[in-house]
Amino acid sequence: MNFVMPDFMPALPEMFLLGMVCFILLLDLFLSERSRVVTYLLAQSTLLGALLLTVSLYEEGRALTFSDTFVHDPMGSVLKVFIYLATFLVFLYAKDYLRARNMFKGEFYVLGLFGVLGMNVLVSAHSLLTIYLGLELLSLSMYAMVALQRDSVQASEAAMKYFVLGAMASAMLLYGMSMLYGITGSLDLGQINTSTAAMDNNSMLLAFALVFIVIGVAFKLGAVPFHMWLPDVYHGAPTAVTLYLSSAPKLAAFAMMMRLLVDGLGGLQEQWEGMLILLTVLSLAAGNIIAIAQTNLKRMLAYSAISHVGFLLLGVLSGTQAGYAAAMFYAIVYVIMGLGGFGMIVLMSRAGFEADSIEDFKGLNERSPWFALMMLILMFSMAGVPPFLGFWSKLAVIQAALGADLVWLVAVAVVFSVIGAFYYLRVVKVMYFDKADVGAPTVSAGFDLRVVLSANSLAVLGLGLFPGSLLALCVAALA
Amino acid sequence: MLDNLHNVNIAIVAAPLLGAIIAGLFGGAIGRAGAHTVTIIGVAIAFLLSLVMFNHVVIQDAGIVSHSVYTWLVSDGITFEVGFLVDKLSVMMMVVVTFVSLMVHVYTIGYMAHDEENWPEGSGAGKNSYQRFFSYISLFTFSMLMLVMANNFMQLFFGWEAVGLVSYLLIGFWLKRSSATYANLKAFLVNRVGDFGFLLGIAAVLMYFNTLDYAAVFNAAELQKDLVISLWPGTEWSVMTVICILLFVGAMGKSAQVPLHVWLPDSMEGPTPISALIHAATMVTAGIFMVARMSPLFELSETALSFILIIGAITALFMGFLGIIQNDIKRVVAYSTLSQLGYMTVALGASAYAAGVFHLMTHAFFKALLFLAAGSVIIAMHHEQDMRRMGGLRKYMPITWITSLIGSLALIGTPGFAGFFSKDLIIEAVHASQLPGAGFAYFCVLAGVFVTAFYSFRMYFLVFHGKERFRDAHHGHDAHGHHAVHEPHETPWVVTLPLIALAIPSVLAGGMYITDMGFGNFFGSAIQVLPQHDVLGQLAQDYHGPWGMVLHGFLTAPFWLALAGVVTAWLLYMKYTHVPALIQARLQFLHTLLEQKYYADRFNDWFFAGGSRGIGRLLWQWGDVRLIDGLLVNGSARTVGWLAAVVRHVQSGYLFHYAFAMILGLLLMFALFVIAG
Amino acid sequence: MTFEQILFYAFAAILVFAAGMVITVRNAVHAALFMVLAFFTSAALWLLLEAEFLAITLVLVYVGAVMVLFLFVVMMLDLNTAPMREGFARYLPVGIVVALLVIAVMAMAVGQRHFGLEQMPVPVPHGADYSNTRELGLLLYTTYVYPFEIAAVILLVAIVAAIALTLRQRGGTKTQNIAEQVAVRRDDRVRLVQMDAEQRK
Repeated sequence: MNFVMPDFMPALPEMFLLGMVCFILLLDLFLSERSRVVTYLLAQSTLLGALLLTVSLYEEGRALTFSDTFVHDPMGSVLKVFIYLATFLVFLYAKDYLRARNMFKGEFYVLGLFGVLGMNVLVSAHSLLTIYLGLELLSLSMYAMVALQRDSVQASEAAMKYFVLGAMASAMLLYGMSMLYGITGSLDLGQINTSTAAMDNNSMLLAFALVFIVIGVAFKLGAVPFHMWLPDVYHGAPTAVTLYLSSAPKLAAFAMMMRLLVDGLGGLQEQWEGMLILLTVLSLAAGNIIAIAQTNLKRMLAYSAISHVGFLLLGVLSGTQAGYAAAMFYAIVYVIMGLGGFGMIVLMSRAGFEADSIEDFKGLNERSPWFALMMLILMFSMAGVPPFLGFWSKLAVIQAALGADLVWLVAVAVVFSVIGAFYYLRVVKVMYFDKADVGAPTVSAGFDLRVVLSANSLAVLGLGLFPGSLLALCVAALA
Repeated sequence: MLDNLHNVNIAIVAAPLLGAIIAGLFGGAIGRAGAHTVTIIGVAIAFLLSLVMFNHVVIQDAGIVSHSVYTWLVSDGITFEVGFLVDKLSVMMMVVVTFVSLMVHVYTIGYMAHDEENWPEGSGAGKNSYQRFFSYISLFTFSMLMLVMANNFMQLFFGWEAVGLVSYLLIGFWLKRSSATYANLKAFLVNRVGDFGFLLGIAAVLMYFNTLDYAAVFNAAELQKDLVISLWPGTEWSVMTVICILLFVGAMGKSAQVPLHVWLPDSMEGPTPISALIHAATMVTAGIFMVARMSPLFELSETALSFILIIGAITALFMGFLGIIQNDIKRVVAYSTLSQLGYMTVALGASAYAAGVFHLMTHAFFKALLFLAAGSVIIAMHHEQDMRRMGGLRKYMPITWITSLIGSLALIGTPGFAGFFSKDLIIEAVHASQLPGAGFAYFCVLAGVFVTAFYSFRMYFLVFHGKERFRDAHHGHDAHGHHAVHEPHETPWVVTLPLIALAIPSVLAGGMYITDMGFGNFFGSAIQVLPQHDVLGQLAQDYHGPWGMVLHGFLTAPFWLALAGVVTAWLLYMKYTHVPALIQARLQFLHTLLEQKYYADRFNDWFFAGGSRGIGRLLWQWGDVRLIDGLLVNGSARTVGWLAAVVRHVQSGYLFHYAFAMILGLLLMFALFVIAG
Repeated sequence: MTFEQILFYAFAAILVFAAGMVITVRNAVHAALFMVLAFFTSAALWLLLEAEFLAITLVLVYVGAVMVLFLFVVMMLDLNTAPMREGFARYLPVGIVVALLVIAVMAMAVGQRHFGLEQMPVPVPHGADYSNTRELGLLLYTTYVYPFEIAAVILLVAIVAAIALTLRQRGGTKTQNIAEQVAVRRDDRVRLVQMDAEQRK
């Protein structure tokens, strides 16, 4: 057997990440509680280093390596960059929160970075095997992170649910993959694509395998009816972890969907389009409607995440390059907004107190007009009010769906986003028109958090005024 | 070179915006001096750079500068962008706007120096109000520049709404006074009516031309002129007429034409500098500017032109009448502004766009001057605005007196002064116009001359001459405090300097530019007139230079009418001061009519406010409460809420429920896609 | 029916039976033992497939390590399974219907038509000197080195997670420190106090 040494260059960021995580893992053992900040700084610089490596490799163009199990392409690079950025912000936002809850431990960062590695693997996967492994690496890190606050019954319960349901979803995905392997005799996405495209499109077996694959993706994204874990986990997990769960993994899930459905099963677009339509309609409906009944902001944002997934799917199911680019744009935009939204909860929380109830934002305008404004920007953007960023992302996917002649689906999406506007605006109403309760939380967060969170929110406005570049980046990445 | 000019354009709008932002957001930090310095520098930069553009476009005649700066979005092939079009029309507006604005900025230092007195004790809004005021007027300058420099309808609309917003903010600047908040709400609502028409007009343009770019629309206009639209079944309207009238409805709101004029007199609740800047010199002329800018469209619809002509004529004459009976010094000037805006509108209707814009320019100078002079008087009188408590101020305030006189002479059209050239031109143009309604308009503008002269000099005599009535008045309500009467004295230089600076163009601007703007081809391609409408072209044949016009001016009816007005005013208010009361008693009916402003407010209150309240109540009772609330909103809200509550229970928290839901999802997908598919 | 087929069906039957018992027996220890049986039989099936290495690994790792540990845990905890079975009867009908439906669809999709011997011919058996351990090793460290490394990372994460979630020094727990106890001196524990005698009343 002749073996050719694989080209390591495209995987340089992943290798760097792994090396650094192991280093941090070891170093953290020898750090005292007081110097724990070193772990934090190292984790942040690891992300920045990986970012630099990924950016420097961007121009390389598409390349396969490691016996075609790893693919380097512009879409992957762009998504990785945003994964690093999102995680960087998560670590930054979470620092004080973790400190106040005695969770400022090396494990949070190590697991977080392992999760980033898993996302990277997922994003760059070009084989069913790597997709599955990347997914498991990511999921395992996330299960552990949810449970990290060991004294919290809620968190433990959430972790348990997440773990069991996640295992179930993994099993289904794996079953689908095994079917696919059985049908095509290959794990390589490229080969799967060529052989499935040549097959009878109406094959029941393909549809059968596809159902399981789609369910695996839908679970990861949190699309209805495979969303049940999402509100409980978002709610139960410490907010710092929720912040993590709700941001970068969404990009990884998007990548997973693109790799599996477009790279691997692009020939079956007609078949999975129908499945995604079902998921879209259910997600939009359930996400928006149930969110109205929530009193807890974290839960509300969780349902809002579900409804955003509906929009994301809307872009993908249109099955065009423009649609994929729009969906990618949507995913990135959602991550930016979600970071801001959960970041606000972190900002308002303090030791022994979680500001995760909508009530806690009552009269925020009187206590902190600036952050009330920031929250207003975020809520308007999530509701899709122009000129904020969220409007453009909705517009992009809607245009893509119209391009695919799915007018009725667009109408459904618009109706539900109007219904959805209700609960976003309720937060605004509470902040500006309600009187604060006595002892309502004030903003006492650190300087770095305040500045970066403000920048985060203002970016939603700024990018909303100049949405062209980000959208162009997504289009270029998928061209 | 051209790139440099593009940057100059950007700097022109950016400088006041930057000033506004600094003064507005960091007002507390930079203090009063900082705020007025930074905004004045911003506006001064804009003024100087406007002169640079003026030099390029007009003096060197090096062609128009048009470029796009930023594309907001492209949707369905329609571009929404920010872009600048600097041709002779806009560059003239830019110079006028920035110059008047600069003068007003300087003037404000004096006028608002003691602004804290205007606020109730301990009012939070009174804090940093000085800085806020400067921020607003700079912001206004920015908005107005965006409006006049636009090269597309979107930006025009942005500027249009932005000036409206700033106007709203400034009218209600003293927001602790209920009359101020009432007035700004009124201005806002009345403008909504106009803006609604304007927006429909723009929408119609977009619908028929599929672009928002001026140049593209104007080029295509000729091709579209025969299109018809059926607004309701059985009628046919020319598309051009519909577009033009809708756009003009916007102008009626902004430029306060009857019947949407009611907000302007009330807007005098705002501080005087903004009355001068916004409600006399610049913003209210935006409608005039817009119609002139759209001349290629308006030329294609004689119906619209006639409509404009008649509306303008009614405004010119009947608003003048109202000026006669006002006692508040600012309201007199306000009604005179309304009347003069009517003149400009008449000019537009007669296709003498150049004359209208020319009058806009001269009017900007002398009306700003009159307002600022009125403000100067108000400062000297310690915020007393009633002319019946003034009189004889001539010897206390010589600069204010002389500049006011110049302003009044210019306003009534004394031969030689700026107003003469522009106003006479309009009158002659209307005379020459063949459009339906031109005869009525000619009568109105001619009669208006007498009325204008009468109320202007009534005000002038009441304020500056005659008995020093402030001495009696003071005893009335200030008996306890100081026994000595506050003798009015001349205002500080920051106030008088702008007066002098504005007095100069009030005299000279007319003679200097009549040849070019009135009869020459000053505006070039910016204003387009069809040959059959070209009244100014006809008049040009009899034109022999400004001196000839002045000399001829002494022989025409307008001069004698104006003189008659002045003499009447002198007789009634200087000589036989008891007569006005007698007349008032005899013609009680007329006086009441004028007092009630032709019952326009009453009518509006009854018809629009009452009517909409009635309709509102009806819709509320039937539509909202029963239909929408009962069935749809509460119905659907109830449905949604019920659904939310029910579906929420699916989220039971039990792990096996969740797992079961996943399996059900699996089955559902099996059923739909594996078995059925 | 060949001998191999007889073996296959026998083992398959035991496997299905054992798996069924795992989830139905009341006693947790019995369930664990049935699971051991299921592992054994599936290892036997793998042997039939010439996957000797995997079969032996399954027995060594799962039966030898995982299940033993599992039994330990089950025996140490006093599990009362009665409350967990409360809803069982109630949900059973629904569960059976759903399970039957899923099985029906599976049977429709996955059958002879796709995975019969025509589509998936029997692979050529290898000779006795063929080492699939070696082949597996070669593949793992060449073609599949990247997935293999990731799998290793997953294990590392599992270890980190397990330690992070279980290892803790809880405050307020009573533990003995032998060294401290040995090193203690009399003065640390006893204090002599001089007091005046109380007066008897």
